[in-house]
Amino acid sequence: MTADATLIERLDERWRDPPGLRGFLTTVDHKRIAARYIVTALFLMFLAGMLALDMRWQLSVAENTRMSPQLYNESFSLHGSTMLFLVSVPLMEAMAFWLVPLMLGTRNMAFPRLGAFSFWLYFGGVLTLWIAHAIDITPDLGWFEYPPLSGPSYSPGHRADIWAQMITFTEVAALAASVNVAATILKMRPPGMTLTRMPVFLWAMLIASIMTILSMPAVMLVTSMLIADRLVSTHFFSPAGGGDTLLFQHLFWFFGHPEVYIIFVPATGFISSIVETFSRRTLFGHAALVLSMISIGALAFGLWVHHMFAVGLPRLGNDFYTAASMAIALPAGLQIFCWIATIWLGRIRLATPMLWILGFVATFVIGGLSGVMTASAALDLQLTDTYFVVAHLHYVLIGGAIFPLLGAFAYWYPKATGRLMSERWGKVAFVLIVGGFNLGFMPMHFLGLMGMPRRVYTYPPGMGWETLNQVATAGSAIAVAGGLVFVGNALWAYWRGQPAGDDPWGGSTLEWASPSPPPPYNMAHVPVVHGLTPMWDDAGRLDVMDGLRPDRREVLVTSVTDAIPLYRQKSAAPSIWPLLAALAVSAMFIGSIFTPWAIVVGAAPVAATLTGWFWPSRPRSRSGPLGVNA
Amino acid sequence: MAILLGGCSQEARDLGPGLPQTAPHGNADPRIDAYQGNFYQIAQGGRYFAWYGCSPCHSEQAKGGARLSDGQWVQGGGFADVYRSIATGHGGAYGRRVPVEQLWQITAYVRDLPLHYPEKRRRLLLDQKGEPQESAWSGPQ
Repeated sequence: MTADATLIERLDERWRDPPGLRGFLTTVDHKRIAARYIVTALFLMFLAGMLALDMRWQLSVAENTRMSPQLYNESFSLHGSTMLFLVSVPLMEAMAFWLVPLMLGTRNMAFPRLGAFSFWLYFGGVLTLWIAHAIDITPDLGWFEYPPLSGPSYSPGHRADIWAQMITFTEVAALAASVNVAATILKMRPPGMTLTRMPVFLWAMLIASIMTILSMPAVMLVTSMLIADRLVSTHFFSPAGGGDTLLFQHLFWFFGHPEVYIIFVPATGFISSIVETFSRRTLFGHAALVLSMISIGALAFGLWVHHMFAVGLPRLGNDFYTAASMAIALPAGLQIFCWIATIWLGRIRLATPMLWILGFVATFVIGGLSGVMTASAALDLQLTDTYFVVAHLHYVLIGGAIFPLLGAFAYWYPKATGRLMSERWGKVAFVLIVGGFNLGFMPMHFLGLMGMPRRVYTYPPGMGWETLNQVATAGSAIAVAGGLVFVGNALWAYWRGQPAGDDPWGGSTLEWASPSPPPPYNMAHVPVVHGLTPMWDDAGRLDVMDGLRPDRREVLVTSVTDAIPLYRQKSAAPSIWPLLAALAVSAMFIGSIFTPWAIVVGAAPVAATLTGWFWPSRPRSRSGPLGVNA
Repeated sequence: MAILLGGCSQEARDLGPGLPQTAPHGNADPRIDAYQGNFYQIAQGGRYFAWYGCSPCHSEQAKGGARLSDGQWVQGGGFADVYRSIATGHGGAYGRRVPVEQLWQITAYVRDLPLHYPEKRRRLLLDQKGEPQESAWSGPQ
């Protein structure tokens, strides 16, 4: 349905941001916020990738002197912390932020200002870690900083505090984002999109958000306990004082293992969308896919101890966590078979996004198999802390999440910018990245089996490790070159790409019904859907409903299971308060690295900014029949 | 900005050449700041302080001159003064046994003690309970 011009004009006037810097600082448009998240995280991925290349350079020959041990420690700590906390998780949240309202055909997220707050706080975490790095106070204890090494006695100074507080920043940001995504998916679906008609992508984002809400408090708790140990001399992790160092590992991995699925489950959402569109048929086994995701989400909370086999467990503990770890291969395998069946039964079109999915299947299966190997407690004792684990984790995280993410980037890029990325250069980037990645990380399996430990800055000659390390370094360099081609392609297409039109791929879900790039209000009318693939059902005709006021920021709220329209909800307008609140919270977090009083003193500005944020605005108290000043 | 740049040298962890080979020449020796102004060197000094068995006499409960955390220095509180009382005091035993760089670190630690609360000093010692301290030392493994 085409909306008339006056409606578009009124919507545009109501929903667009103020111009210039004011609009930049106050925007609550989910697309702008998500784009900031994505650009920041991609830039950090580049920086952390450069660190990786530097480390590969150091390891390419025995007894290399490119890096000192201290610099090597800092490099892998910064690489891991950045990639896990500042790149992977935020990128997945940002994709949800950008896509969920579009795929629901709604105008914004459920809590627009919370979205802006989430980004600013995340950005505070980015600055905390990387400014600290710029002035040479880099955390140097790995991406999980176990006490007692990270305790007050063995990590004097503020390196460990910076790491712990960076986590607090990103976790508050992640919690804010997840609550927002979950509420949006559950309460703002278009009429007709019952839970059973919800696309797999939305299920993936919902499950990942709920997992985030349940797991992130554990890591915020544990890093806060670490800061308390360091700052006010509590005894949480001091055995001689009645504490327990293993408590840290349990709480950390109770978050840390779900985290890898918080990264992977959204990727399964990307894969499902891309596979459906490029196989040109509805997904095979929709219910099986959704149930697999739910069981992955549940199992993910029951196997964290497999990161701690070397700590020593009773026999039954080993058996239980080995079995739980292996069990997750079942739903993961079921998903792979559903996608393969969809491709098999459909008419496949090998555009760049689909190539990434094929690259994902091959790479992720290898990572899954090495995962089943390390899940065995007996074998893990041999493999833990070797390069085998480095190979495994990169195969599952890069193969399982980053490849689908690059595919998703290529798939939704025309929707975001209105222009198509070059297919030819997309394929060049694909070959370089997937080829370079496999060349770089496959040899690490063998290095690990040959006994090369993780986190060593160099090794003596004569160990037989040099050739494989050189192959790995060459592979990483090729993959980085491919990454630059990918980014170059995206930048070139932004200004010079072919115009894409609204629906260049013939997609199945509602985001393709909006213009490319989508206007601030996303869609002129609320769509009404009748099936899983609204763009394909009813011969391309999309029913819509009317009734939202175009002269106010209004969104439709529907019921949780059946998406029955319930009421019209006011949607928040641009506001400076989320930025101010994030600044106040940042000041409190940074201050608490140095003095516990920062919590007490810093609470006042936080309270003040939140008061400003939630200051009630009731326009009808001034105008209309009940107005007091009228 | 000056505070930020000051932060860097406090946090540095330099290992390797450039270690002091000699006792400090007076309280204004230019090498002092690399030890007294560096968290890592001070923390290393704390470990050696326990390893070499200083803790039993210089505990938190110690009285008079043996009490190090009260900021009252009987032999003078300058870096060279404290260094001298460790190395040549106690009958000269520590000056003969302890390598020079470790004496620098221990000196920095001792001079840092009055800057902390008792619970912080206690917390640091608790973390180091598992280390081979004085009588718990059972020889090279």
